[in-house]
Amino acid sequence: MSDEQRSRPDLQVVSEETPPPSQANDALVIGSAIVAALAGIGFAVGLALQTSIAVYGTALAIGLLALGFGARRYFSDLFPDIEAVEPRHPDDGEDDESVAAIAPLERRSMLRNTLIGAGGVFGLSLLAPVPSLGPAPGDELKRTDWRRGTRLVTTDGEPISADNVATGGVATVWPEGSVNNEISAVILVRVGDGHIREPTNLEWVVNDELIAYSKVCTHAGCPVGLFREQDNALFCPCHQSTFDAVRGAVPTFGPTARALPQLPLGVDEEGFLIALGDFEEQVGPAFG
Amino acid sequence: MTPLFGKLLDELDARLHVRRDARRTANKVFPSNWSFLLGEVAVFSLVILVLTGIFLTFFYRPNVEMITYTGSNPVFAGRSLPAAFESIVRLSSDVNGGLLFRRLHRGASHLFIATIVLHMLRIMLTGAFRKPRELNYFVGIGLLTLAFGAGFTGYSLPYDSLAGTGIRIAYTELLSLPLIGDRVAFWIFGGAFPTGDVIPRFFVLHVMVLPAAIIATVGLHLFMVYRQKHTQFPRLGVDGHNLVLGKPLWPLQFAESTTLFLWTGGLLAAAAVLIPWSDVSLLGPYIPGEVGNNAQPDWFLFWLEGALRIFPPLEFTIPPGIVISGPFVAGVVLPGLIFTFLALYPFLEKRVYDLSGEWHVLQNPLEIPLRAGVMLGVFSGLLILSAAATNDILSRMLGIPIEMITWIARVAVIVVPVVLGLWIARYSRKRLRRRGLDVPSSEVDGQERYIAA
Repeated sequence: MSDEQRSRPDLQVVSEETPPPSQANDALVIGSAIVAALAGIGFAVGLALQTSIAVYGTALAIGLLALGFGARRYFSDLFPDIEAVEPRHPDDGEDDESVAAIAPLERRSMLRNTLIGAGGVFGLSLLAPVPSLGPAPGDELKRTDWRRGTRLVTTDGEPISADNVATGGVATVWPEGSVNNEISAVILVRVGDGHIREPTNLEWVVNDELIAYSKVCTHAGCPVGLFREQDNALFCPCHQSTFDAVRGAVPTFGPTARALPQLPLGVDEEGFLIALGDFEEQVGPAFG
Repeated sequence: MTPLFGKLLDELDARLHVRRDARRTANKVFPSNWSFLLGEVAVFSLVILVLTGIFLTFFYRPNVEMITYTGSNPVFAGRSLPAAFESIVRLSSDVNGGLLFRRLHRGASHLFIATIVLHMLRIMLTGAFRKPRELNYFVGIGLLTLAFGAGFTGYSLPYDSLAGTGIRIAYTELLSLPLIGDRVAFWIFGGAFPTGDVIPRFFVLHVMVLPAAIIATVGLHLFMVYRQKHTQFPRLGVDGHNLVLGKPLWPLQFAESTTLFLWTGGLLAAAAVLIPWSDVSLLGPYIPGEVGNNAQPDWFLFWLEGALRIFPPLEFTIPPGIVISGPFVAGVVLPGLIFTFLALYPFLEKRVYDLSGEWHVLQNPLEIPLRAGVMLGVFSGLLILSAAATNDILSRMLGIPIEMITWIARVAVIVVPVVLGLWIARYSRKRLRRRGLDVPSSEVDGQERYIAA
């Protein structure tokens, strides 16, 4: 038989056995697909609820084994069981026929859809370990380290006296004990000609000229680093968001939509600047 | 071909002209025998190793500075630990699902190496290494070596008491290289053991260099299988020299492999539930100067450890100052000789039996006395060396003094392989003579006799 087959370019079926449609087999495919999908959900839920390895590990094992079993039963339903030969040294002829020489049998598409569905559910459930990568945010992004009575300090940790800020100057300040806590960064501005007006909260302005805003730009979170004295503008160099320091830091130009939150500012008995509480608005870029 | 897949292929074909190649690939025939699936399981283990390894990499800290563990594991709470070990404890005890992924990774690593070894045994015993496949046989030996490297570096990363001891012994092996040993050891370790550099370096080897090398080599290995087509066991009435007989890739082998992949994953998940792979809280962190009574490598390096244990005391200096030591001979020269011998064996067989032509049909090793003798000899020797790596445990279990066990192993590792090798070679020669056969020097010749028999 070798000479004759050597001239053939491709697969030659030697024996072929077509399984009869079987309801029992259909039930096995659908049953194992459902088991796999449920096990996948069990894996995801078990992991989310932080149960033990015995629970979600077993669910994962059952899901994979069931999916494997279902796939096996599905293929044995859809295709004839064949044995074929292929020449070791085929001729290289042009060949434009359909890709596989074995055509699938005309069978119910429900099996395929169930299996694809179950595989999809199971595959999605394998994303369940992703939350393990980091803790839940809680309100960590909504609160800063400013509390009522917290002193404003410089990056060196020195408290700031109300009389000691240069006119037209800006300074980066921090809550005492939380220097370099990024979300708590504040920019302290001493406005030269004192006409601070609404919507600034005037109760939080010290001596009609000292005012403090969150330094974290409300657009993309860069530090608002520059102060333009002639028009009292705070400017973020990243995307050119510009805020009016005498009018509650409302945006006047650039891509941001939200004003810099104003820090409730006060003075303690020793004359040092303090916060009167945390920011009342969301600090930094939008999320959620 | 399902309609959706067929449509996708039509669209691809209109752009990339894949149809002919795809058809050839889909029609590739896979001879079926359970032992042909060993290599597939190794590939699937590799996939699982890569996926779980990515997860572990997010948490592991390749650093041995001491830090305080503040998590929930009661054994280590509040203790100062090397950062690498601390991150493993944290991963196992405090990261949701971390223990599952550690165990899956560990289990898959054992399965990966075990199936490579068994696959290699099958190749050697049945003669699948013969022309035209010698090249791929070398690639396979290279893969086994890379897998040992990945296994050893992975074993070291937790920096538990066993890992530290293993690294210490590897350092000694590097030091033992004559003339250049100290220099090479300092290059690899960044100074005298234990430096802080070894763990970050092993980490880079384990997560980057070795996986890249393994994946590339597996690719080459499979490409060669694809080009050369499979070997197969002989079957009456089939001209195996010219034809491959089996199941086409699409759909039957695809179905089989898909199942095998899912079942491999499922069994590894079940094993992760049932087997406490490498429970670090039983071991504790590595502290230089301390070693437990149970210092053993992973099983696949037992043979090396056994050789170190039973090799007789040896240390001498060749003028002008080249030191040859026991660890060098037992841990470098001996494995080098074994691997070189196994790599060159195909040429030995070819020369002894004056073989010609290509060989695609597998053979029972008993039909080739030399192969039967060599394989039984080499592998019984490796098993005895492996057993010798447990001489302390054997001594405790059997109540025989450890000195006696060591001497028995020293004698056995020389006598047993020779006796067994000669015996099986003699047996298979007789078996051939009884059937009125000899070793055929070409496959066509062999097939005619086989069919005639």
